[in-house]
Amino acid sequence: MERDKLLKQIMAADFAMHETALFLDTHPSCRRALEYYGKMRAKREELAAAYRRQYGPLTYYEVEGSAWSWTDSPWPWQNKREG
Amino acid sequence: MWIYDKKLQYPVNIKKPDAALAKLIITQLGGPDGELGASMRYLNQRYSMPYKEVIGILTDVGTEELAHMEMISAIIYQLTRGLTPEQIKEGGFDAYFVDHTTGIYPVSAAGVPWDAYTFQSTGDAIADISEDLGAEQKARKTYDNILRFVDDPDVRDPIKFLRQREIVHFQRFGEGMRIIRDHLDSKNFYAYNPEYDAVK
Repeated sequence: MERDKLLKQIMAADFAMHETALFLDTHPSCRRALEYYGKMRAKREELAAAYRRQYGPLTYYEVEGSAWSWTDSPWPWQNKREG
Repeated sequence: MWIYDKKLQYPVNIKKPDAALAKLIITQLGGPDGELGASMRYLNQRYSMPYKEVIGILTDVGTEELAHMEMISAIIYQLTRGLTPEQIKEGGFDAYFVDHTTGIYPVSAAGVPWDAYTFQSTGDAIADISEDLGAEQKARKTYDNILRFVDDPDVRDPIKFLRQREIVHFQRFGEGMRIIRDHLDSKNFYAYNPEYDAVK
């Protein structure tokens, strides 16, 4: 998948997890919310693994290999205009 | 974006409250050379920085400073827990207490609230990193001065850790400065702003 498209899907899954986390903070025993959170987390993990393999790490905890790749990919505020 | 880790960067376990120490140490939260200003300085300076390695340092050090804010806040919280109004007054913490009780609020040791005028983000790589080198030394100085007044090893230990981090950050910013200088055009020996005037 294209980098921007994959990143957008990770952002969507992250936001779904975050929104659900806020709700769960005050509704910790809501089963529907817990199930949804688990579903989004599984999706997030799968997407993030695909992103990591193709485009590099999202956090420095994920850096692997013989070279430090943390600073190689564009920073999130650097859009296409900078090339 | 950021995520929160439910842990401190280095442990803080203070058994003996001491309002007088809290009054001094709070300056590393909200004072002129404190951790709040440090994190705001580096995280705001990142955007126009032209070199990826230096953006990396600003991002990762700026993030660590947020963790240091949390450590200082934990120290203040533990130093002011369970004190009587008499002990608060004895420690000179009464003026803070009357506005904030034992809530955490960023002020200097003299009680001046934190101010964004304590840092700059100039859009000029050399100006910014020069400030950052100075900022790390100034923060190290404050930790040295705090240590002159602290005997309790439970307080000294995390303060000494934080002091060491300032020294490491100074080293990394020194390398950042070298990277910026290496990128300067050979004709730019007066080091004009590489972020705006002469990006190479």
